[in-house]
Amino acid sequence: MLPTRERVLVAMSGGVDSSVAAALLHEQGYEVIGATMKLFCYGEDVPDRPCCSLDSIDDARRVCERLGVPHYVLNLESAFGHDVIDNFVSEYASGRTPIPCVRCNTFTKFRDLLRRADAVDARWIATGHYARVLGGELHRGLDRAKDQSYFLWGIDRSVVQRMLLPVGGLGKATTRATAHALGLDVVAEKPESQDICFVPDGDHVRLLARHLPADAPALSRGPIITLDGLIAGEHDGFARFTVGQRRGVPGGYSQPMYVVEIRPADRAVVIGPREALLGRGVIAHDVSWLTARPPRIGEVVAVQMRHRSPPVEAEVIRLAPGQIELALAEPVAAITAGQSLVLYDGDRLLGGGVIESARTARSPLPVLAA
Amino acid sequence: MPHPIYLDHAATTPVRREVREAMEPFFGPRFGNPSSTHRWGREARAALDEARERLARCLGAKSAEICFTSGGTEGDNLAVLGSWRAQRERGRSAIVSSPIEHKAVLGAVHSAAHEGAEERMTAVTPGGVVDARSFEGLLDSSVAVCSVMWVNNEIGTIQPIAELGVIARDHGALFHTDAVQAFGKIAIDLSSLPVDLLTISGHKIGAPKGIGAIYIRHGTPLEPLLHGGSQDRGRRPGTENVAFAVGLARAAELTVAERPSEVARLVALRDALELALLSKIPDAIVHGRDTPRAPHILNISVPGTDSESLLMALDLAGVACSSGSACQSGNVDPSHVLAALGVSRELAVGAVRMSLGCLTTPECVRRVADLFPALITKARRLAGTTS
Repeated sequence: MLPTRERVLVAMSGGVDSSVAAALLHEQGYEVIGATMKLFCYGEDVPDRPCCSLDSIDDARRVCERLGVPHYVLNLESAFGHDVIDNFVSEYASGRTPIPCVRCNTFTKFRDLLRRADAVDARWIATGHYARVLGGELHRGLDRAKDQSYFLWGIDRSVVQRMLLPVGGLGKATTRATAHALGLDVVAEKPESQDICFVPDGDHVRLLARHLPADAPALSRGPIITLDGLIAGEHDGFARFTVGQRRGVPGGYSQPMYVVEIRPADRAVVIGPREALLGRGVIAHDVSWLTARPPRIGEVVAVQMRHRSPPVEAEVIRLAPGQIELALAEPVAAITAGQSLVLYDGDRLLGGGVIESARTARSPLPVLAA
Repeated sequence: MPHPIYLDHAATTPVRREVREAMEPFFGPRFGNPSSTHRWGREARAALDEARERLARCLGAKSAEICFTSGGTEGDNLAVLGSWRAQRERGRSAIVSSPIEHKAVLGAVHSAAHEGAEERMTAVTPGGVVDARSFEGLLDSSVAVCSVMWVNNEIGTIQPIAELGVIARDHGALFHTDAVQAFGKIAIDLSSLPVDLLTISGHKIGAPKGIGAIYIRHGTPLEPLLHGGSQDRGRRPGTENVAFAVGLARAAELTVAERPSEVARLVALRDALELALLSKIPDAIVHGRDTPRAPHILNISVPGTDSESLLMALDLAGVACSSGSACQSGNVDPSHVLAALGVSRELAVGAVRMSLGCLTTPECVRRVADLFPALITKARRLAGTTS
């Protein structure tokens, strides 16, 4: 037991990871308060039902009942709509491919939730993320296959001091076993969520269509062109495409063709062969640092530009307020505007930013103003 | 933590000891089905008949005019939908109601609208009272039924039921009132009141959850919602919940007998709490304050706060309040009642309902009068630093 029972507000999605996080903290002697954030209306298709009660809220509540700790539902719909969904829509409308989970962590889970924690005198906030807090800094989850640190780079550095990530030192199999051992059978075998929570059917275009005007360029017909500027076909909206994609790309070329660029101004989807996807440098904006000493120009760090891709070495070649440019030690395929550039020193998360553009063999001089 | 404080009596109340004792035999030796003709059945039937008579007496009604239900929601649905469906056949297809009704009434009205009813909603004054002139303006010979609650469950304001009932009657419309929050707080004498249908609920007055009653004035056309046997004259088929009906009758008798003294006690406590809170939080708004209110409800908004965080902090400090009517998911949405009063969204999201009752003592009031302002000060300090 802790000397004084320190209060922790645990964000509980109803899934196995956050349930185990709550149970472990409870076992360690913390005073656990469970909170499920209601982020969007689940019941749009159900008229006359003001109470949106998805099963996940019920599951989180059942876990809290089991632990004998209070559970609350926090309505963050309007903030989430503004900070996450609106941004998701506008990024797609601008020809980029956003990661809403990053903004949800930055704004919803580790800013708005922290305010709720303050309101109830909770010193700590906790989630079920696979990452670790060590010495006031964020590190990769111990199980590299489950590591979620990629999505956490945008958190305010001061918040890290108040974060507890109790499953970051476990593997998923361990987590499930722990869930069973703690009697959390309600959630122990729930499937992992892969989709974006507010796009449960995976059809992001349908969501965009709900939020954008009917004649929005992102959802309107446009040309598919080759790197040489030749018309290769037509598409039904560039928001259906992302860099590196093959689906929907015309065939009949001597080699497989991929989306290599989206040019929203011309509504054009540009296609090219695999080597045209290779980037040798990357430029990012909205850069945020999670360390007291961010890397300087000339320093070599490890970077990751996709959640599941292996890190590669890169040298910082340009820094400006909120911006960074790196030269990659080896070419990386399908560096995509809107995705996250995340910098590591080994397992230690240094910071990250939103990818603005890649420097490819075909791109001219760096765009970044010094 | 000191003794927790329950300030949510408008949500539900504990079952009274006398009520439990009255019900006890019907879980044991007197378990019969009142529809059976043998001695067990007769015993149960006798208890049910007696419960009906005793409850009727509490309301100034005749025994045959009382129908036991599962609670307020069923009563409201039966009153609104049952009477509308019966009246529709007589060429009356409109329903008049108010935007501050309980969701049980609003939901029933919307459901009738799906079946073709014309929905007419009265205006409500900023003080939280249905505007009688607006009400009258909505009435004509096409109105089947009017439904206006007696005491609003969120802010406690008392509606001019007698006046509205007369207006409805003048136009040949039926009049229903949801008296769930009024019963035990306001004298109800249906022998002299122009009301055709009235709903009460057991668990607000010390009976268990799952029992209520509806008063159906003799001769009121009503289609049942459920179909099956002939129990309760076919108005409410299904084996009667004898034990709970007995419990409801007992609770009603106690409540009616204690009403004058209990109302005086609650008024004093509520006023003391209100005065203390308003003096410590000068810019707080008490909704419906200038309107006649039932003695047990105090609904207060403080600018710049949100009730979701306040209710959590109150709960964790041992004080149970609510933000209005409870919602299944535990989620807190701005109140439709306050919206109808024209309260700004900013104030509405801060609204906290404190409802007093049998568990409330002067000590509870003193502690909440200290704790609530302290939480407000903190909430405002945090709002100032984080936004």
